[in-house]
Formats: sequence, C-alpha cells, structure tokens
Amino acid sequence: MKLHVVFSIAGAEYALPFDSVLQMESYDGATLVPGAPDYVDGIVTVRGLVVPVVDLRTRFGLPRAELNLDTRIILTESRARVVALRVDSAREVIKLDIDKHQPAPSVVIERSSGFVHAVHPLGKRLLLLLDLPKLLGEDSHDSKSRALPEDDGSLDRAQLPG
Amino acid sequence: MTGTADLKEFIAAYLVEAEEHLTVANTQLLAIESAQRSGETNPRAVRETFRSLHTIKGLSAMVGVEPVVAIAHRMENFLRDTDRSGGTLPQLAIDALLRGVRAIEQRVAALSRGDAAAAPSEELLAALDSLGLGTKPVARSPVAVLELEPALLAKLAPFEVEQLLRGIAAGQRALRAEFSPSPERATQGLTINSIRERMAKVADIVRVLPRAVPMSPEAPGGLCFVLILLTRSTDDTITDAVGLNRGSLQSIVRTAPEPVADAEVAPNVESALDGAEDGPLDALSRRGVVRVDVSRLDDAMEGLSALIVTRFRLTRAIASLSESGVNTRELTEILKDNARQLRDLRAAIVRVRMVPVSELLERLPLLVRGLQRATHRLVRLELEGGNAELDKSVSERVFPALVHLVRNAVDHAIETPDERLRRNKPEEGLLRITCGARGSTRLEITVSDDGRGIDRAAVAKKAGRADPAGDTDLLDLLCIPGLSTREVVTTTSGRGMGMEIVKRTIVDELGGELEVHSQLGQGTTFTLRVPLTISIVDAFSFECEGQRFVVPVTMVEEIIEVDASDFVQLPANDDGSPTLNIISRRGAALPMLQLAHVFKLQSGKELSARKAIVVRRAGAPIAFAVDRMLGQQEVVIRPINDVLLRAPGVSGATDLGDGRPTLVLDLVALSASLTRGTPGEAKAASAVTQLPARMR
Amino acid sequence: MTEILVVDDSKVMRDMIVACLRAIPDTSFSHASSGLEAIERLSLARFDLLVLDLNMPDIGGVEVLEFVRAQDTLRALPVLIVTTRGDDQSRERVLQAGATGFLAKPFTPDSIIAEVRAILADGAEHVA
Repeated sequence: MKLHVVFSIAGAEYALPFDSVLQMESYDGATLVPGAPDYVDGIVTVRGLVVPVVDLRTRFGLPRAELNLDTRIILTESRARVVALRVDSAREVIKLDIDKHQPAPSVVIERSSGFVHAVHPLGKRLLLLLDLPKLLGEDSHDSKSRALPEDDGSLDRAQLPG
Repeated sequence: MTGTADLKEFIAAYLVEAEEHLTVANTQLLAIESAQRSGETNPRAVRETFRSLHTIKGLSAMVGVEPVVAIAHRMENFLRDTDRSGGTLPQLAIDALLRGVRAIEQRVAALSRGDAAAAPSEELLAALDSLGLGTKPVARSPVAVLELEPALLAKLAPFEVEQLLRGIAAGQRALRAEFSPSPERATQGLTINSIRERMAKVADIVRVLPRAVPMSPEAPGGLCFVLILLTRSTDDTITDAVGLNRGSLQSIVRTAPEPVADAEVAPNVESALDGAEDGPLDALSRRGVVRVDVSRLDDAMEGLSALIVTRFRLTRAIASLSESGVNTRELTEILKDNARQLRDLRAAIVRVRMVPVSELLERLPLLVRGLQRATHRLVRLELEGGNAELDKSVSERVFPALVHLVRNAVDHAIETPDERLRRNKPEEGLLRITCGARGSTRLEITVSDDGRGIDRAAVAKKAGRADPAGDTDLLDLLCIPGLSTREVVTTTSGRGMGMEIVKRTIVDELGGELEVHSQLGQGTTFTLRVPLTISIVDAFSFECEGQRFVVPVTMVEEIIEVDASDFVQLPANDDGSPTLNIISRRGAALPMLQLAHVFKLQSGKELSARKAIVVRRAGAPIAFAVDRMLGQQEVVIRPINDVLLRAPGVSGATDLGDGRPTLVLDLVALSASLTRGTPGEAKAASAVTQLPARMR
Repeated sequence: MTEILVVDDSKVMRDMIVACLRAIPDTSFSHASSGLEAIERLSLARFDLLVLDLNMPDIGGVEVLEFVRAQDTLRALPVLIVTTRGDDQSRERVLQAGATGFLAKPFTPDSIIAEVRAILADGAEHVA
C-alpha cells in the first residue's frame, strides 16, 4: 500500500506516488518565460526555489482553463529536478494497493501520448497513473544514480603494492 | 550544574579536522616520494606527516574511534623512527603509509555517512608493523659558520642547522629577527602569528625561538621571539612587509669562520622526537582558518537577499510617504547608509564562500598516482591553477566532473608506454590541467592529454549515428547516455555514463559551457567554463507590456529616449522574426528591436515603448525598446536551470519584493540569438543608406 | 574567576577540553593554537592554569614548560600537561620538566575535571 496524491484535469482523475510530491500549493499565475515550450506557464517561487510550472491541460493537448480557487500546483521531484504541475483541483491523498494497478489499455496510452502508463480502478472511479519522468521531458528511463562514480573502491585494489 | 560533557558530540568537528590532517599527510608523503626520486630527503615532510598522524591518533582516541587509533599508532611509530634515522623512506614504505592514510580516509568517510568505522584488516596492520627500522642517530653538523648564542643554537634541530648551512652556501642571507609582543603591538595587529604569516612571504622561517628578556617598556611581557630566517630579500623589504623596525634584524653569519673544535653545541637529538612532541615550524604557518559548513553560508545568503528585498520595500514605502508630503530626508539618509552596509556585507559573504581553485586541484595528484598503477600507464600531471577563486558550491559540483575527465584521460586516452614509444611519443603521457579566470564572471578549466585522441568514426558507430561533423557534434555524441567505446568495463571508469553527467553538471546545472577538441593520434582537450560566483548584482528594472524585467547594470551601455519620430522601421522579415528598427543616436545609426516583439508579448505594430536599453555585442551596439524604466537596485540572481526553461536571453530570476520571480535578462545573449547572420543585419546596412539625411 | 589558557593546535581538542572543564564553576577560558602563541599570551595576561598539549607545530610543550619555569613571573603557574604518550617514562620526564599535573589521552571528562580541581585546590604548589 502506497500513498498517492489524486488530482483531476478536465474531469479525469489522476494519481502520483506521494513520495515524488514535495507539496501542493494554490496558484494564481506564473511569470512568463518567453521561449519556453508552450505547455510551460512560466516560473514561480516556492520555498525559495524557482520552479517551472507545467500546465498539464496543455501537455495533454486539452484547451486551457481559467484560473479559479480550485486550481493547484503540485510540486514534484524527479531525478533532482523540481517541477510544478498545474491541475484543475487536487484534494485527496489516499493509499493505493499497487498490486491492483493494471496496465493501461493501449488506446489510453496513445491518447495520452504515453503519459499514462497504468490505471487503478477504485470502486466506481478509475484513476490514471502518470509516468512522471516522461511528463517532465526526460529522455531516458535510466534509473541509475546521478552521482559520478568517484569512489567505487577500485582504487584500493590498485594501490596495493605488488 | 549540567551533567558532564559527552565527547561523542564532537564527532562531526573531529571528522572535519581529521580530513584536514589526512590531506596534509597525503601531500607530504607525495612530496617525500618526489624528493627521493631526485635523490634527496625531505625531513620536514617526514615530521609534518608524523605530526598529522599523531594528532589524528590523539583525537581518534578521545572520541573513541579505535580502528583509526590502531592504524595511526603504527604509522606514527614508524615515522618517528624514520625521522630519527634521517628521513629516508623506501618506496615500499611510502606505499604502505599511503595505504594507511587511505584506510583512515575510508573510515572517516564511513563515519561521515553515519556508518561504523570498520576494524582494520590484519593484513594492513601487519604490513604497517613490518615497516619498523632500527634507529640510528644522525651525525652532528659543524656549526662554526653560524653566529648565535649557544643557548639558542642548542635548540635547533640537525636538519634546521643543515638547512641554514645549505642556504648560506647557496648564497642566501641568514638573519635573525626579534619581536617582543606587547598590548600596544597587539592592537596594531602585531602578534607572533601575524608576524610569522607576513614573514613567510618574504623569507623562509627556519625556526622561532622564545627568549626571556628583562621587562622593559619595549618588552613589557619580558618576552622576545627570535625568528631565524633564510632569505634573499633586503632588510628593508622584510621590515616593510612585516612591520618591524630595522634594528630588529641582524645577520647570523660569522664573518670569520672559527675552528670546528669549538663548544659542542650540536642540538639534542634525543629530545627531538622521543617525547614525540616537538615539531618544526610550519613554513606555511597557521592562518586563522575556520571551516564552515556550506549550508550555513547558504543560510547567510538567504538572509542577505531577504534584507535586500526588505530594503527595496522600505525605499518604495518612503517614496510614497514622500509623495504624500512627508519630509523623508532623514529616512533617506539612513537608508543610504543601510545600502552601503548591505553592499559591504554582501561582499563579505560572497568572499567567504569563495575557495581557491587549488582546492579543486590538490586531490588530483593522488588520484593520478593511483590511476597510473591500476592502468599500467605512465602519466605526468601538470597543474596550473593561478590565483582564481570560485564559489564553494560551484567548486563542489565541478570536482566530480573533473575527476571523471581525469579518469577518462588516464584510462582511455593515454596509451601504454610501449604503444607510445611505437608512436614516437615519450613514454610518459602528459596530462595538463589549467584553471584561469575568464573575465570577472567565469572560470575556465582545461583538461588536455597527449594521448590517442578520440576516434570519431568508432564513437559514431557505437552510437548508431552518422560521423560527427565538427567538435560540437562530437561532444553531443560523447554525451549520449550509456555510451562507451570500451567493450569491457575497466576497473577505474568506462561505465559510459560519465560524460553525460559532466555535461549535465557543467552546462545544465551550473549554466556553464563544455567543449571538446580532439585530434586522432595527438590528444584531446576538454574545456569547461563555469561561473565563479552566484550573483548579487546591480540591475535596472523596467517594464514591457505590463511585465517587469531586470537587466544587470554592467551590461547596459546606455539608456535612451525613444520617440516615434526618431526611428525608421524596416520591412518585415519573411520568417516572422522581429522587425528591426533603426534609430539615430548621436549621428550614428543604431539598430533597435522591440522587446515586446522579441518576446512575442504583443504582436501589434504600435509602439508603446518610450525608452531603449543599449547593449554592445561583439563591439556593435544594439538597443531594445521597452515601455518604461522602473529603477535601479541590487538583486540576487537565482539561476533557473531546468531544461524546460532554456530560453535565449533569460539568465535567471530574481525577486523584486513582491514574492513573484522576475526574469533577469541577458540582452547581449538575446541579441546574439536573434541576429546571428540574419538577413536583418544586411538589411540594416542597406537601410542606413535610406535614412533621411538628418539621421545619418 | 579562574582564568585558564588551553593550548593545543587542534581546535576540536581545545573545544573538548573546555566542554569538560566548564563543569567547574567560575572558570573562564582562553585559547592558543601553538606553543609560541601560548608564550605570547602568557607574557601579556595573567592566568591561573595552563592546560598544555605536548605535540604542537612550532615549539613543543616541553619547551614551553621549560620556558615557563624559567620565568620569575610564571614559575608558579600551574601547568597540566595533556599528551598521548601515557607511559611512565614520559610522565617522569614531563614532571621533571616542571609540570604540575599529567594526563594521558584519551581521558574522560571526569578525569580531567578531577586533575584540574586537584591542581587548583593545591594553590600554586608543584605536585612533582
């Protein structure tokens, strides 16, 4: 059982693992960054960090929505990048049994440009699970650590005399 | 009264000091090794190494790290014996000692991570134990050449006497300088520590001896320090540098040498190290140094930027008070003082964060030494650091990248000695690393080797792509994740992911540049450029189509008024790029772009801009028209690193006091991205001829 | 107020000693990081106790001790030597050079407090 954050965009509900979420904030706009991709609203400052805001509606190819009191940004962390996701609303944090995740039907994967990689039925609801690295534009699914192999101990063997 | 002290609380501070001493030990051992290669000994280095291990042992015992005590104890014993016998270390001994240092480093690193320090292997302890030598006291040196009171002379160690004699023979002057501490001199900044520090810059301090003298106004403490020096500087140079007067200097070279059979004033070898406690003067002398956690500096910077933002708010508040008729003259004066104090504080904090580039370089010799062994190559390392300093957090990020490039060079680039001879290259490969400041904002680091160069075709084939056209394409190829041209992963590197991370660190995270230049058969040079500091700069703030921006003052050549009648608009470009305008400035034609168009903030042709910011790129001026200027203030520039935010002309974000980020623009880079060989320039040139005569 | 000068080139060591001795009431601490600096401080201010490490960069603790004992003004200054060499031979040597007390590293907080209390209680007499 793992905690997940549940949010909605254009009536559909999505879920992200809680351990990749830093915090959720209300949102009243970002500073535009000319030259950034069109799905980037701009930048905001949160906890001293300057983070980009990705409008998930635009990212999913949906028309933009007006800001209202429900609009939220979800600060996510993936491989040392912090990116905020703009969503229509985000109200729940619930425990999901990850064994109950199901592979997404291919039509769903296609329609979502591959951003949805699994689904989770919850009673009458169907939660769509997002592939965060892909959403944020990471090229590879390489999950190796970022740290440089500075000290892998091999130098030890090298220094033994003889 | 609170309970007794728990010494375990000192573990963190102990780890910091231990690391410092380990660095000294490494450096000294390498110095001994290289001296012995030229047939000389380095007794001072032996003693320094001994002292470091001795201190590590003592501290480790206090905080209860037994494994380190065990290792340090054996090393210390051996070094004490070595010192007594004249300081010669067989290569095998140096290797074993370096192993010992490494073993201690690993345990210190483990403790830093919160793990336990492993017990040392029996094999290591046995290796260290077997290093013991018999002790042979050193023969005494004749001291007939030196003129110094017997009491003082007796205190000099044999190698110090030898140092003096050798120095005199080489033509240096041997002097004594006297300094009596006093409360007045202390307030003038003259203490034994400061005297030593300054003296070390103009002379070699062989020894400092304290002597009791009768109390007098000149020596109210009844104390005088006698500094024994070797130097080529003149008396005036010394007295100027140190702050003593000429009378305190005196030569100690006898003008008429006396027969050796004089009083046996040879120093007491017994006392030199048996109490294990005496030590030579550290020629580098002890500066007042404080180790600071980088996160504390980050906190200080955060505090400072908050102060700056608050001051800006104050300024605005005072401005609006003033507008409603209140006399704010005194407030404004106070605020000016405050501004000056903040500037000074900012400069001080920025300075604290700066570390010398030697910090980046000093661990490399040891690394290369180990790599040579592991890869069976011969490599000569040349380091050129200069005096540059850089921000600690930049340095910390650059170092792993540098390590990776060095590993690559030794492991992949430099050929085996046989192969090199076959190619008519010297047996020893050359690895050269230089650091130099580029302008006032960047540090350029080059890592070059004279190895086999990069085989572009092989790399391309491995990546499944076409041969790279130029060096830029080659770099892109090299940075593909997972790429490795070695079939077999070697012990030291070659996992193939390193180059990609170097690029990510240097270019994406730090906002720097990475270049490669390589010639097959000849060698490869990597060039890194990184920012020297994180920035607090003076900036102009302005408004454009309702949005605020800032631009650093140093980038701006001029700010001019813009009037609709003053400029000519060129025909629109077919590719939709922003139209160029020409404006007259002091009789010359100046190209101008409307920032609103460049940033696509508004596409209408109507110009609401009233001001233009002039910058200079590659010698040619260009102006950006904006709506209005808002003011000038100091801002803290936060880098914006995410790949999603790579936009031309945007160099960071700042906070102007409203909690929202405001973009910091690099107008020079922006103009470069827009006018790179565009038809615009040619058009501009031809348009000049069309200008009304009065504008030309 | 008991003025104590703590001399050791390791800052960690000095801080640990001060942390231990703070338990003694009415104490005030000064630091020196080398033998020469210690001698300089002693010549310019009055101290009630010198806590001295033997292993230091410029001049060793023994030399500092000998220098101190050779001064009229400092002859009676209580000196506690702290050292890693805890063997009897070293102890003898140090006490003969004029140390008031001798403590081997590693020491526990309790043991250094006991030593210092004993020294201060005895006034300025040697315990040689």
